[in-house]
Amino acid sequence: MAVPVFTLQLNHKLLPGRVTIGKYDGSHSCLTAATTADKVLIHSPHRRLGTTSQMSGAATWSQVNKEISLLSVNRNVSALCAGRLHPDLEQDILVVGTPSSVLAYNVENNKDLFYKEVADGANIIVVGHLSGYENPLALVGGNCSIQGFDYKGNDPYWTVSGDNVRSLALLDYDLDGENELIVGSDDFDLRVFKEDVMVGETSETEVATILAPLRGSKMAYALANGTVGVYNKLHRVWRVKSKNRAVSVLSYDIDGDGVEELVTGWSNGKVDARNSRTGEVVFKDNFNNSVAGLADGDYRLEGRSQLICCSVDGEVRGYDSSRLGSLMEGNAHQDAVRDLLQKKQALLMELRNYESNTRSSSGAAQTNMNAGMIPAKTSLQTTVSINMGNKSKGPHVELCLTTNNETIIRAVLVFAEGIFAGETHVVHPRDEELTSSLKVALFPPRDVPLDIHIKALVGLPRTEQFHVFELTRHLPRFSMYNLISASAPLPEELPQNFVSFFISERIQRVVLWINQNFLLSSELEPESGGGSLSLSFSALRDGSLLSISMHPAGRMAIATSNMTLAGDLVQSLASFLNLSNLQVTAEFPDELAHLGEWLEKVANLQEVRIQLGADLAHRAGLIRNLIVRAEDARLLPDLTSMREWHTQLLEVNDDLINSYNIRCSNHNELLEILKQINLTIQKAARLRVGQNKADVVNLSRSALQSNNLHSLLKIVRTGEA
Amino acid sequence: MDLIFLALSLYKKRQFEECVKTCTELLDKNPFDQAVWVLKMKALTEQLYVDDLEAEEEGIAEAFMDNETIAESARPGTSLKNPGTSQGGSTQGYRPWTQTGRPVSGVVRPGTQTARPGTMEQALRTPRTSKTARPSTSQSARTIRLGTASMLSEPGGPFIQLSRINLGNYAAKPSLAKPLFLYILYHENSIRHALQLAVLATQACEFKDWWWKVQLGKCYYSLGLMREAEQQFRSALRQHQCIETFLRLGRVYIRLDQPLSALDVCRTGLEYFPKEITLLTEIARIFEGLNNMTMSVKYYREIVTEDSTNVEAIACIGMHHFYTDQPEMALRFYRRLLQMGLYNAELFNNLGLCCFYAQQYDMTLSCFQHALSLAKEDDVADIWYNIGLIAIGVGDTRLAGQCLRLAISADSSHAPAYNNLGVLELRRGRVNEARAFFQAAASLAPYLFEPYFNHAALSNKLGDLQASYIVIQKSLEAYPSHIPSQELLHALEKHFTFI
Repeated sequence: MAVPVFTLQLNHKLLPGRVTIGKYDGSHSCLTAATTADKVLIHSPHRRLGTTSQMSGAATWSQVNKEISLLSVNRNVSALCAGRLHPDLEQDILVVGTPSSVLAYNVENNKDLFYKEVADGANIIVVGHLSGYENPLALVGGNCSIQGFDYKGNDPYWTVSGDNVRSLALLDYDLDGENELIVGSDDFDLRVFKEDVMVGETSETEVATILAPLRGSKMAYALANGTVGVYNKLHRVWRVKSKNRAVSVLSYDIDGDGVEELVTGWSNGKVDARNSRTGEVVFKDNFNNSVAGLADGDYRLEGRSQLICCSVDGEVRGYDSSRLGSLMEGNAHQDAVRDLLQKKQALLMELRNYESNTRSSSGAAQTNMNAGMIPAKTSLQTTVSINMGNKSKGPHVELCLTTNNETIIRAVLVFAEGIFAGETHVVHPRDEELTSSLKVALFPPRDVPLDIHIKALVGLPRTEQFHVFELTRHLPRFSMYNLISASAPLPEELPQNFVSFFISERIQRVVLWINQNFLLSSELEPESGGGSLSLSFSALRDGSLLSISMHPAGRMAIATSNMTLAGDLVQSLASFLNLSNLQVTAEFPDELAHLGEWLEKVANLQEVRIQLGADLAHRAGLIRNLIVRAEDARLLPDLTSMREWHTQLLEVNDDLINSYNIRCSNHNELLEILKQINLTIQKAARLRVGQNKADVVNLSRSALQSNNLHSLLKIVRTGEA
Repeated sequence: MDLIFLALSLYKKRQFEECVKTCTELLDKNPFDQAVWVLKMKALTEQLYVDDLEAEEEGIAEAFMDNETIAESARPGTSLKNPGTSQGGSTQGYRPWTQTGRPVSGVVRPGTQTARPGTMEQALRTPRTSKTARPSTSQSARTIRLGTASMLSEPGGPFIQLSRINLGNYAAKPSLAKPLFLYILYHENSIRHALQLAVLATQACEFKDWWWKVQLGKCYYSLGLMREAEQQFRSALRQHQCIETFLRLGRVYIRLDQPLSALDVCRTGLEYFPKEITLLTEIARIFEGLNNMTMSVKYYREIVTEDSTNVEAIACIGMHHFYTDQPEMALRFYRRLLQMGLYNAELFNNLGLCCFYAQQYDMTLSCFQHALSLAKEDDVADIWYNIGLIAIGVGDTRLAGQCLRLAISADSSHAPAYNNLGVLELRRGRVNEARAFFQAAASLAPYLFEPYFNHAALSNKLGDLQASYIVIQKSLEAYPSHIPSQELLHALEKHFTFI
């Protein structure tokens, strides 16, 4: 436990995760947080200290509450960020996101920089420089899209992501001195964008709710399932999992050693700081309520910043390295003693085991059955294959474990990310069913390459002690597709849904790719002649057909009705063949038909929306009028008319609530459709590689803005406007 | 004469009633004559057209239930809500405040009279004490004060049945849609229908007509949807720069209580229209609202160099000079107004005061005589109060007392008169009467610090320290940097700590 250098009470309930700190006058840090009453609270301690107060004399006595000022947003604050958005101003600008708008506000001058309606909502906002853009941008992550606004309110940056954006971070990923954008979205993916080209992608086991840049190319992340860890580029350095959820992650040098620690605020009120290289806890404290957010800023005007933690009930504590040093030293000794004791215990246990083993082997060889010894030659064989399933179990990938002698497999622990609900799957057959082989069914929900870590407990029948076999198997990316025929003749006519493109590569290379990325019973032999390649697969998930064909001339076609799958295949193939650019022709009539429908619906919904908005405003105006009148009647003690006004008020109020509900459902419908449109664009972009991919996004956007369905369809189909 | 020609001629001569009559005759003969129909619409609109920018007034409902303002307690000098806190501005010490808690302005405009008292109850009560009433909403302000047709009954039913009309049919025809829109907005005052039409029309012209965007913004503004209005005005300004649009956008920011943004908008407007009077006036007014008189007067001076007959600018500069102890300069500006043909009680009243302070005593009384002879009911009290002030100045307390009593008889809620009477009574040693007058003044005008201070000083002298302590705090609330009040408070505090 650490002793805070200061504590204070804001007396407002705060929303978790929406806490930031800004220097709105250019020099003094002000803690800024969203309250549950749809307001933004700005705490300016320097006002109390009187550093800017030019009021003379007795005027100060009435300014006790000047420390806290509130901004009315009147909508649920969904994101909050302060940063230097204006390139010419030395002040921080506060950017407030709500589910339907973004407001950039100059707190010092009580002035809007811009106010923008964003149909996709604002789930998360970061402010900073992005490579390729001269001015700082406020990057707003919404439903499937990311928009970047400059200080004038223009949005030079726009791109789509695979799903709703949950977290954003600006980080110098490739150490070229310019920031790249890292995006965590609802489809569990982390993507890295350099300008508008995606340069990296990795998959997590849950939604990444928080991303925070650390020093260099390191980045901290937190998942919705309570995992916190550190990435260096896209390699995970370490991670820890807790049953609580991380609310806020921040890098701050709490122990004063010159290297930032990773500070995490948890939903149960715990705050801890971990070494960013090892994950070792160096500091912790507890709040009574959930942590609302962390920030670092100079709050005591002492020239260096403190770590500031807020809880949801408005308690604020500040820490710095000065108090921590001595405290942690005392702890370090105790920790060392505890560690050594634990090691001693473990060693003693091991020694006892060895002793008993030697006793049994030397004493009576015939009793080795009881001692749990297994033959030295015992080995565990694993095979991964596709099982088309039966009535009770659908088609799946089957992991088959067998031992090479009479030993049995007592239980198997399979650890793989993202396949099982809790990451780990345990199979332990009943005693009478124990055999020397065991089958585990896997259902990878998504097409990602997987490493499966297996721990098998192997022993002789009826023993108490088992040997643990640890092994790792690799599951190829497209394991959920079963090869039907390898030599079907090329169909004369292409199927309805397909992508086709030219690559200047030999067929053998493509065959190699297929061997690596699909789960085949036997490896395909590349044909030596100039023959063409044609393969058909069936998807285990929905039984749909996938066929891949390639002409010797280099024309390749992937036929599938699943646009996402086609995108995955193209991306995987491109990275295998090191293609920097790839343009494809895509025909997905079903998806495109939807797109037309959606655009029409959006137009209709927006028209209705304007009407509903005017209706609401009109009713709200009536209500204001009625309230004033009712109040007037009350002051005049004219109870008859007061009752009359209130009756009317009630009626108008009911109407208002009704039309509000209608508007709400209209809004939700609109959101859903916009999300679908963004997703389709994203899928279309994934069919291309490199610059062509970025082009699709940009062209689609301008087509959407001009509401040009025809050109949008063409872009999805050909990748060109 | 051809009736259509006659109707057009009448319209040009602004004889709208005759024009409407002629059009009605024509329409009786041929109900499908679109030209006549439009002409009648325009004539009806013109009858009731008001400059809604100048006549705009914030209602009680907006002031208290307005939820668009972002900052609840903005930094001094960045908000119109708390002008008293602005730094370097004038204070009550040498420029009196109106009941709104703002320094008096050179001219009376809608808005300079509206108060921002603490609670709605106060706001509802305040108008009853004076002769000004406040509208409950800004929407009703225009409809009630200026009487649009929606409040009048028309013989033979309304000209256009809005509920029956198919707006979609008209939206695509600009020549019909625009007059129809203005008719709906100004004559029928049905903002919802107007908005519906504007939405359809702007879609019909593929969002290319800035005029419709401005109208949409106007509709949103009156509905209180400030953000939507802002977007429309901004979008319109990108297509076409127009003074009206700049002004309206500025008004949006004033409603959002972001005066600095409004100033920025007006300055951008000035880049397109250098030295444009209306924009300059708007800037000067905003500075006045921010209690930054120096800047305000600077812009008023700029206006006067452009338009030497601008009454508002001249009056405001005159006022500024008067309250910065230059009555001779003020006199010149007010004389200029007199030369321009302004001939009313207020002007003579101001002239009288200027003459008095510029030591031209011979003119003083004759000016006030003119003022009294021209005065209407509203002004009499103020003029008597000022005469009382001069009487005090020349030391004629008997005359002063009489004048102040006349002022009170003309307006029984004239707080400064009560205060001055209290001081006069105190000089004559009638303590209880004096205290009663101070209390009356304070209850009528809690925004004035003088009655509080006088009351506190009196109580202090009488030994009622507790009352003095309570009252002096109220004085400091009204005028935080009033030095004598602060000194009294310190003395009292010191005294209490000794006990």
